[in-house]
Amino acid sequence: MASGNASTRTPVEERLFSLVLALLATDGGLTKAEILSTVQGYRQRYQHSGDNANLERQFERDKDDIRELGIPLETADDPGDTGNNQTLRYRIPRGAYDLPSDIRFSSEEITLLNLAGMVWREGSLSAQSRRAILKLRSLGVVSTEPLLGYAPRVRVRDASFEPLSTALEKRQVVRFAYLKPGQERATIRTVAPLALVQHQGRWHLFAAEVATGAEKTFLLRRIVSAITTAPDPYPVSQDGQAGRAMQGLENVWASHVARVEAAADSDASSRLSKRRDTVLEPSGVLSLHYSDEAIFADELAAFGPEVRVLEPETLIQAVTSRLRRIATDHG
Amino acid sequence: MADRAEPQRAPDKLAFLLALVPYLMDHDRVSVEKTAQHFGMAVQQIRDAVSLIGVSGIPGETATYQHGDLFDIDWDAFEERDEIVLTNRVAIDDSPRFSAREAAALIAGLQYLSALPEHADRDAVASLMTKLSRGASSEPSQVAVEARDSDDTLRLARASVQTGRQLEFDYVNGQGRSERRRIDPLRVESVDADWYLRGWCHLRGAVRTFRLDRITAPVLTSAAITHGSADLTLPDALFETSDDDLIVTVDIAPGAFTLIADYLPDGVRMAEHGDVLRTTVRVSHYDGLKRLVAGLPGLATVIGPPEARVAVAQWALAALARYES
Repeated sequence: MASGNASTRTPVEERLFSLVLALLATDGGLTKAEILSTVQGYRQRYQHSGDNANLERQFERDKDDIRELGIPLETADDPGDTGNNQTLRYRIPRGAYDLPSDIRFSSEEITLLNLAGMVWREGSLSAQSRRAILKLRSLGVVSTEPLLGYAPRVRVRDASFEPLSTALEKRQVVRFAYLKPGQERATIRTVAPLALVQHQGRWHLFAAEVATGAEKTFLLRRIVSAITTAPDPYPVSQDGQAGRAMQGLENVWASHVARVEAAADSDASSRLSKRRDTVLEPSGVLSLHYSDEAIFADELAAFGPEVRVLEPETLIQAVTSRLRRIATDHG
Repeated sequence: MADRAEPQRAPDKLAFLLALVPYLMDHDRVSVEKTAQHFGMAVQQIRDAVSLIGVSGIPGETATYQHGDLFDIDWDAFEERDEIVLTNRVAIDDSPRFSAREAAALIAGLQYLSALPEHADRDAVASLMTKLSRGASSEPSQVAVEARDSDDTLRLARASVQTGRQLEFDYVNGQGRSERRRIDPLRVESVDADWYLRGWCHLRGAVRTFRLDRITAPVLTSAAITHGSADLTLPDALFETSDDDLIVTVDIAPGAFTLIADYLPDGVRMAEHGDVLRTTVRVSHYDGLKRLVAGLPGLATVIGPPEARVAVAQWALAALARYES
């Protein structure tokens, strides 16, 4: 064990802060030995002629923590000694660290961003948006208060969301069991994540199948196993993938049309007529779009006798079989 | 928010230190109190952070943390007047960039909110997203949330607060009956794709929550608003229960629990019962219950009382009857 007892140890945040300051201040970079022997929080525990394995492991973990905050901690080989871990130099280039000076925000913009940050109240996205808001506050701009109070919220309840979001960030291949409606058994999927998108209140993973390269969209609520990840990054371009994923879901939405009769002045009539892209035919029949037949059938079953599906036939079958199941379960 | 001191992890403390320094650089003299308010943190968190900054710095040429290589503050002002004056700074010139995921969280949040009247200027929102993207240390993660269409009711609710006039609309209540309601809007809330307006309801004489998609024919009246958000505290839970509610026992398939969690009050008791979770929920009438359960075929089953089971069964049978003619 390294010397130094717990009571004289530097607090973790002081060590991390000192490391960031030292790496920001250096132009040519610092070697690991320089860091461990001089930076506050390491130097107290550094053995000048001894084994610093514990301290080195500490440094590795600290680097991960710092990078996790979006701080561009870079390494550069010594030009005369490439590949040598001991002469590798660490630094945080100012240009990559500092928020560009032309990026500043007005009070109105800060208000919008504060609201945008409020949307996430659970999981890692909540922590990420809190940190982003902290950085915005650092600029000192005070927000204008919105006239009407808002409490917007996007949930990330699916257990697979966090591991998928980490894999997306690290560009790692994931593997999971996926159960499609109407199938008896889940199938194992191995895919490279491209985007996570919420459409119609449900989270989807847009991903490329590793074996075939085919792009597929998965509903997170149908993932029935834990997510396992491959450790190595998978080279895939994510540029613009969220937009493509959303467009794909929109295309599916546009292509699925159901005609439904809703009882006048009913809850179904009020809510379905306000559904996005709904058309009220002159006959009073509603022409509705949907993205997933099984999920839409659940929604329509909830309206009970307030709705009758006219087409497509597959949706009629899906709704009536659900209603029979409910009647049987409660008979 | 300002008085809530959540325990912070060390990386969060680091993020705060790196955000606080540029703020202090821009303010020659600022009170601990005001700083705490600005960052939405407890005063003690500010004092701890400033004390740490005041003794931190870089190893410097001598690698011994000499005085000029350290931050310094006016310690008298800090200790006696609770004021922060940065007198020497090192290493840090500016606020840090966003991480890829931080920028993504805000961009996706902006996208989700684009139906709000405050977002009416689409170009301004687009330029804001570009700024976030350029202000990130690497390309923002690919996360997106579908936007809601812009909404007349939301626009009118905002106008109602702005002009101080009551809002009136037809509302289909949970039992499927339509009534004309008149409200003082207090807050707009959402859960994913579902949007709600909370307000003081003049018909009921109480705060009520209205689903936006159940509201029709909204009109701004000439009557003045009598209840503002400053006068009322809104409970956090969207769905409230009352003492005279009916008690119903429901079995829920484990995978379906998240789908109905919103309808369950906090701290509801849940017991494993074979393969399912058995829970007791309070409902104000069976109408809402039958709609909820009918939307979860095979996943939720009402166990009792018998009247509740009958209500659900009849709802499904009446629906089936519509396909027999």
